Amino acid sequence: MTGKSTSTGPGGTWALEARGLGRRYRRGWALRDCSFRLPAGRICGLVGPNGAGKSTLLGMATRQVEPTEGELRLFGVPVSDREVMPRFAFLGQDKPLFKRFTVAETLRMGAELNPDWDMAAAERIVRAGNVPPHAAVGTLSGGQRTRVAFALAFGKRPDLLLLDEPMSDLDPLARHEMSTLLMAEAVERGTTVMMSSHMLTELEDMCDYLLVLAEGRVRMAGDADALVPAHALVTGVTQDGSLPAALTRHTVIESRVHGRQFQAMVRPQGPLTGDWRVSEPSLEEVLLAHLRSPDAPALYTPGAAVDPQEARTV
Amino acid sequence: MSTTSTDASTGRATPRRMVRGLNWLVLRQHRAALLCLLGLTLLVSLWIVYQRAQLIDLLDAAGRPEEGAGQPVTGRQYSLLTMLLGALPVVLAVFLGAPLVAADTEQGTAQLVTTQSVTRRRWLVAKLGWCFGATLLACAVLSALFTWWWRPYRSVLSISWLDAEVFDNTGPVLPALALFLTAAGVTIGVLLRRVLASMVVTFVFAVAVETAWSMIRQNLAPTRMVTYPLDSELPARLSESYEVERWVGTADGKLYGWGSCVEATEKAQEACLAQKGIVDNVIEYLGQDQMAAMQWTGAGILLAGTAALTAFVVLRSARRPL
Repeated sequence: MTGKSTSTGPGGTWALEARGLGRRYRRGWALRDCSFRLPAGRICGLVGPNGAGKSTLLGMATRQVEPTEGELRLFGVPVSDREVMPRFAFLGQDKPLFKRFTVAETLRMGAELNPDWDMAAAERIVRAGNVPPHAAVGTLSGGQRTRVAFALAFGKRPDLLLLDEPMSDLDPLARHEMSTLLMAEAVERGTTVMMSSHMLTELEDMCDYLLVLAEGRVRMAGDADALVPAHALVTGVTQDGSLPAALTRHTVIESRVHGRQFQAMVRPQGPLTGDWRVSEPSLEEVLLAHLRSPDAPALYTPGAAVDPQEARTV
Repeated sequence: MSTTSTDASTGRATPRRMVRGLNWLVLRQHRAALLCLLGLTLLVSLWIVYQRAQLIDLLDAAGRPEEGAGQPVTGRQYSLLTMLLGALPVVLAVFLGAPLVAADTEQGTAQLVTTQSVTRRRWLVAKLGWCFGATLLACAVLSALFTWWWRPYRSVLSISWLDAEVFDNTGPVLPALALFLTAAGVTIGVLLRRVLASMVVTFVFAVAVETAWSMIRQNLAPTRMVTYPLDSELPARLSESYEVERWVGTADGKLYGWGSCVEATEKAQEACLAQKGIVDNVIEYLGQDQMAAMQWTGAGILLAGTAALTAFVVLRSARRPL
């Protein structure tokens, strides 16, 4: 009951809210027991190795994949409700467009199929890239095609923009151009963005929120600024060839032993006292440690976790 | 005041046009295919009108030996035309039906469209509506024209009415067959999700359906029996009937195969007939007056199949992505 009031509160505080979400394919669970919240207005990076369930999650958020279990809400509205359709835009991995349509016709399609279409914004994005409006989409370069796909996504005026590895097939120049465009448009409109990517540096630059998946489960969710300080990189001398017992009081995400030296990624459960050298890891180091150790306990920063009390009432 | 300004701004952004929304998208995407179909329909229509006029000229020149002449006057053009009409449902199924949805799933444009603000179901309904509408229109026009030619001149057009060339190309059968095969093509495309594979499978399926159809055709109406004396001619009213089976029979209705009592000499034959008591010819037939009922029955079966396939595709899309 209380859960309802927060999730459907004025303006929809949570752009995306998953409870026990799962999807099973014939070969097994692609995503299971996935619960998290993405506050509106954030730029969220979706991180995980191939097959972690990123595309499945984005597919469920865009109604392309039917959840096997659990619930997913966009701004408080269940994704099964067609009311959510005008609220999100999706840019898939291979950014499919009708190849025989001209750029202008592609934008007209956006106008014909979306109630809140913003033709001026879409045309501005296309013009800024010097994409000829009467060229067939099939004749454009990869970067130009991506720009048209972006224009189609932003012309929809979405509240939530979902991107599945949007820059993976672009050259560095086009990638930079698209990231700038994405950030500028998203910030200007206050659009919530969730983008999956393998480029950790790209994520570090653009995202202020992170959702880390591995083997179909949530490993970390929350503020990028809070996730990193929750970890410490500890270097020291081993005891009898293994980690010191004092360290195992804390949550050890990953550890490596080199001779008499050890290095461990630790989530401190209190002050780290010992004869160790403690340093703050980079975001990349934290992510890599979590991706290498899918069995480590999941970490949610406050707000990112779905309150179990609420989960029970729904 | 405010409405005017809204109108002006939307008018500039998206000029007001006749076709809007999903209809615009479907027509734009399938523009080439639909124009081809339109052109083909026009050409074949003109061809039918031309052939009909030629036939009338020919008959006029010969002093209209319509009834009883029995000489077929059809030529290569007529057989080409009936072949083309007969192939039309298969062509539509393979080139319009099979790629209709499969092309969009293969190229990802299904995802593109259904992540705009339209549901899969609405999009499919629009696509199927235009596809079936075009199929129905083209085939109905061609069938009507061909019927208009064939019906008055059937006695000089050689082919029996129950043969595929006539039965499948006139009346409601041509549109119904085309709709059913096209719907099957769409369904196969939805299931296989690959253009080439669904075109091949649709072709094989269409050939199988045509084969099955040729066996079903003569069972669409109950046959009738006629009995007439051995030594008389076939009653004239049956001249246009389709003969299903032929026997010889006794006065009390016992039937023997047509070849019974075919003996070397007339004497032996008569002895045999007398011994068995055979006095009549018995013919099991389908009358030409049954043709319309048979065509509508067949069309009904095909349309029911079309409806079932369409319902399957549309209902499935609600649960499963394309």
